[in-house]
Amino acid sequence: MIPSLFRIFVIGRNTLIEAVRQKVLSVLLIFGLILVGSSVYVSTIATPGLDAAGLFDEQIKFVKDFGCGAIELFGFAIALLSTAQLIPQELHNRTVYTILAKPVRRAEFLLGKFFGVILLLALAVMLMTLAFAASLYWQETVGFNYVRDIYDQHMPANWQNNPQMAAQYHHDIQDIVNKVQDPQLIKAILLLFAKMVMTAGIALLISTFATSSIFTIITTFMIYLIGHMEGMAREVWLARGAETSIWQSGLTGLISLLIPDLNSFTIVDEILAGNHVPWAHTLNLLGYAEVYLVVLLAVSIIIFDFREI
Amino acid sequence: MGLTKRYPLAWKRKLLVALDHLDLQVRPGEVFGLLGPNGSGKSTTLKLLLGLAVPTDGEARVFGLPPDSLEARQRVGFLPENPYFYAFLNGDETLRFYGKLCGVTGSKLEKRIEELIDLVGLQNGRERPLRSYSKGMLQRIGLAQALIHDPDLLFLDEPTAGVDPLGSAQIRDLILRLKKMGKTVVFSSHLLEQVQEVADRVAIFSLGKKVLEGSLDSLLAESQNTQINVSGELTAEQQEKARALLGQEIRFSRPHLSLEQLYLRTVQGLPDPTPAQNSRRS
Amino acid sequence: MSSTLPLSRRLRRAAWVALFLGLWAPFKIAWEQKIAHEQDFLRYQSVTITRELRDQLGQGLTIGVLGGMRSIVADFIWVVNVTQAWEDEQWFKMDGLINLCTSLQPRAVTFWDVGGWQLAWNTSVSAAHDLKQPDVLRRLRASRFWIDKGLEIYQRGIENNPQSWRLWAHTGLLYQQRLQDYRTAAYYYQKTSELPDAPVFYERFPALMYGLAGDDQAAYAAWAALWQRLTPEQRTQMEHIPTPPDLVKIRHLEQKLFIPKEKRIFPK
Repeated sequence: MIPSLFRIFVIGRNTLIEAVRQKVLSVLLIFGLILVGSSVYVSTIATPGLDAAGLFDEQIKFVKDFGCGAIELFGFAIALLSTAQLIPQELHNRTVYTILAKPVRRAEFLLGKFFGVILLLALAVMLMTLAFAASLYWQETVGFNYVRDIYDQHMPANWQNNPQMAAQYHHDIQDIVNKVQDPQLIKAILLLFAKMVMTAGIALLISTFATSSIFTIITTFMIYLIGHMEGMAREVWLARGAETSIWQSGLTGLISLLIPDLNSFTIVDEILAGNHVPWAHTLNLLGYAEVYLVVLLAVSIIIFDFREI
Repeated sequence: MGLTKRYPLAWKRKLLVALDHLDLQVRPGEVFGLLGPNGSGKSTTLKLLLGLAVPTDGEARVFGLPPDSLEARQRVGFLPENPYFYAFLNGDETLRFYGKLCGVTGSKLEKRIEELIDLVGLQNGRERPLRSYSKGMLQRIGLAQALIHDPDLLFLDEPTAGVDPLGSAQIRDLILRLKKMGKTVVFSSHLLEQVQEVADRVAIFSLGKKVLEGSLDSLLAESQNTQINVSGELTAEQQEKARALLGQEIRFSRPHLSLEQLYLRTVQGLPDPTPAQNSRRS
Repeated sequence: MSSTLPLSRRLRRAAWVALFLGLWAPFKIAWEQKIAHEQDFLRYQSVTITRELRDQLGQGLTIGVLGGMRSIVADFIWVVNVTQAWEDEQWFKMDGLINLCTSLQPRAVTFWDVGGWQLAWNTSVSAAHDLKQPDVLRRLRASRFWIDKGLEIYQRGIENNPQSWRLWAHTGLLYQQRLQDYRTAAYYYQKTSELPDAPVFYERFPALMYGLAGDDQAAYAAWAALWQRLTPEQRTQMEHIPTPPDLVKIRHLEQKLFIPKEKRIFPK
């Protein structure tokens, strides 16, 4: 067992080194630029509202949405593109021959390569999260100054000495802090990471029998989109009656049985909106993703074991 | 130990029969050559013996085990015909990677890497990525990774293809050294001269079938004739005497160096090898 | 590649795959249902959703197409188009865009809040002072029209986000400032103060609203209720503030309403 895991780890580490040396992560520089750009753009908008902290709502929302959206997008791209060419490249370069001539099981090889992609994703997400945190922190400071300015402009002089106004000011500041330093954001990042890993798992499965990387990429992308509608398909299928056509129940059934419910990960929206999502639910979702991944990997191994190289 | 038994094997690819009912046996400690033109089934045979392909009929056994079992692969080393390695790793990293996959770790691995780098002569390339290697260097790192776990059986696919004569000679010497260490070597080549110099037994392939098999001595020797080597030149008188003595058709000629020997001598400044090296050692 | 494998091996492979997926499928569906159930509760605090099917389908398709990027799309539409429409004074277009953004992301309070505010305050005031419309009555009607539009946004916002104190509070403010309906405002302020994260001072507002409405009885009842909720320490604290406006109000009301001395908070 241990030597097996060790071999998986060795192959995984090697895959990560390959990606890093081929400068895959330099694409994250674009991520950083987008993040900075959007933050700057957002801070030029100032729509006053009915209360001081409320007006900064929009800015914080925008930065959070954009940051997490960019993490999701870039993570998805890295997951999809890295995994799609994982096996084809080894087969094309025949480097797989040298490895399989060594005492390495095919399953270990496949898992090792995939593990490398997971490491790459984790590294990318960590870097992006750091950049995201930095942009949030900057927005927070801008927000503090903003609120201060509003109060100085619209409140009578010496408003700091009025306990009620001071309390309200502190409440507004705290509001911003709560929004920005939201510990729930960790949950959001974890869920997005799980979604990326699932995408990579699907890509791996397709690639075990696909003939080209392009096919893998397109198919996985389509599954990704369908996965967001799987919830609807599932409800329709479960509620099917005598009048449902064969086509409809067949299609919705197929989707429900095979495609993952990726829309459940949009609960991240709730977290970004500042609403409470308990850890229990987060862990439930993460567990679902994990088990689903195990199934994907198991099927991938079965298919790959039988593949001629 | 290095015993392999094989039974009829065949591999049909659509209507292409890559290998048709091969029956082959390699004995431990011998150097076995697979000869034949391209597409004759040599590479297929190696793949089947490495567990990289599955036979349609019959079975392959390495050390009595299925070739794709971990135990079998633990004792086998493979040099592919082309560098199927990761170009972004340097020499050291490549050996470390494959070594770890074979279960060689820690200081033992590091020592082994040093030994092999010395053995194949890659000191000044070890820190450079493989993509910067010449063909000869790639063959050498390939040999090193094949040996990293000290296997008992080696499969070398075209070990000297594209390598300059100097490198070729070194590889040849290495094979002989491995044989002395008691290892079994199976290699494929279509450079007949080189096969002649190292192999004990050969099999000749053509169009997926094994056409001929046997020890080089028995195959090559012209059974009818005997060759006597004499150092120095013979005068006409001596030639007559010899004819009278032996009472047979005798042909006198100068033994020839092989072109390779001439080249090596020129390039390396080696002393004249004796013509005896030209003939088969028994 | 697979066409070269003999039938038996292909079948074997397919059988294994089918087995795995077959074992997983019912488990998967059950798990997904459970997750969806939990999420409905998290999102709407209720299990049965009474959204229109059209809304649901619309949501589903957009989610599918956007692949979860809808919050960014909504943000973009908001920032670029809504502000543009405001500047161009294209009220109806702005209203349409506000509705679009809230449909895309009904759980984003800010869309409802700022959208409703834009309509019920900014647009309606602008319509009231619209020099292009000479008829005063028409202007007032237009102004009222936009207030109603804003109110509608706030109310739908509350439906989708019942836990948002801001939406409740600003609806109350709408009734107070724009409609002068102090009783309804008092109701909304009361609901606001019941939410856990609302600012503390909202608990006084119902009483103030009843006062503005001229309903002294209700105002006094509200003040009394508040006073009852204070602990003894808090009461002494309040009494030591130099000019406690609220306590002055309570005394004043007690005198005005001729509350019997036994029932007074400040018998004097």
